[in-house]
Amino acid sequence: MNVLLCSINTLKGLYDISGVEVGQHLYWQIGGFQVHAQVLITSWVVIAILLGSAIIAVRNPQTIPTDSQNFFEYVLEFIRDVSKTQIGEEYGPWVSFIGTLFLFIFVSNWSGALLPWKIIQLPHGELAAPTNDINTTVALALLTSVAYFYAGLTKKGLGYFGKYIQPTPILLPINILEDFTKPLSLSFRLFGNILADELVVVVLVSLVPSVVPIPVMLLGLFTSGIQALIFATLAAAYIGESMEGHH
Amino acid sequence: MANMLMSSSKPFVIASASLSSSTTKPKLSIPQLPLPNLTIKPSKFFTLSSSTLKSLSLVAATSLALAPPSLAVEIEKAALFDFNLTLPIIVAEFLFLQFALDKLYFSPLGKFMDDRDAAIREKLNSVKDTSGEVKQLEEQAAAVMKAARAEISAALNKMKKETQAEVEQKLAEGRKKVEAELQEALVSLELQKEETLKALDSQIAALSRDIVNKVLPTA
Repeated sequence: MNVLLCSINTLKGLYDISGVEVGQHLYWQIGGFQVHAQVLITSWVVIAILLGSAIIAVRNPQTIPTDSQNFFEYVLEFIRDVSKTQIGEEYGPWVSFIGTLFLFIFVSNWSGALLPWKIIQLPHGELAAPTNDINTTVALALLTSVAYFYAGLTKKGLGYFGKYIQPTPILLPINILEDFTKPLSLSFRLFGNILADELVVVVLVSLVPSVVPIPVMLLGLFTSGIQALIFATLAAAYIGESMEGHH
Repeated sequence: MANMLMSSSKPFVIASASLSSSTTKPKLSIPQLPLPNLTIKPSKFFTLSSSTLKSLSLVAATSLALAPPSLAVEIEKAALFDFNLTLPIIVAEFLFLQFALDKLYFSPLGKFMDDRDAAIREKLNSVKDTSGEVKQLEEQAAAVMKAARAEISAALNKMKKETQAEVEQKLAEGRKKVEAELQEALVSLELQKEETLKALDSQIAALSRDIVNKVLPTA
């Protein structure tokens, strides 16, 4: 028993040195419910960054765009292109949803990698990318589900549910299952990628504090961007799929 | 794995706290530091069970070692898959962000870009239209040039004819004049020839007389 306690203590000591904190949250109490404060704080920062830069860049659009306006026009073109490719000609009303998904996830992921959150000490848990938390990714995935149901129902009315027996009625269970797997895979893909990326970086930094983690950090930046794009593209694809006529 | 190791000390405290009949979970008293909790509870535990410390710690340790599934559940709940009010708050924040970005960014800039595209297209089309106009103007200019050229060539021809007639007239005049002069000159030449011949005749007579006188010494 002493050995057990001893080993636990040494492991805990090692763990404390490495400074890895997984699943540690700073809890706030709001009306009898708990919230993860660090997620809310970082998401506010992300929203502030997005809105602030958008206001500054688009405040006074020029016919011949300035540098920042050019960048934002490029981003908007990119989002429109993604939406148009996945949804088709009626992509117009969905640009804001797809674009907000992409920008929020992208800026969240990159903020986790680039902003020095660790400077700010919390009493419990630590600040990290908001997409590091399962609540955020599930929230976004559920919104996507609601969005594609809304898209299908407004486009086709109750005929939308005809797609469940579309190729043959035998596939009904699988088609129903799809509505659950879609948000599940969306949320867990994002959550797992970002959490794993941050963990790998933290562990590597704790082992070798210089130079070695840099390629992994760069890879993390790349992964973050790809994940944002994948989430937005898949959301657009689901919306487009539920809007297109079934043959 | 690290997760399990990390929080393996925490359930120990929780278990001991529940053993010491305090039902409040340490998680629920949140905004304050958890550190005081950690310092207070072991002391409570100490005072309560100072006599049976060894047996209790043994129980705690064995319960820890023998019940890994419940431990795992505890960790999962407390750590990674901890759903709570954060989720709906994030939904609300996202919807707010979508609304705000749409009002600040997507709609205005998108409209601006579309308007600019439309303006450029319109300008391009109008440029294409003026190219037709330019062609018409070019044709007009070509017609004007043609007319002018015809006019000029007619005038040139006329002038050429006039000049030619004038020149011919002058030429004829000159020829006439020259012929007259030639005639005159010929006439005067003839006259002079006759005179010279006459003069020569008289001279011939004198000369021949001289010659005869010299050759025939008559004297």
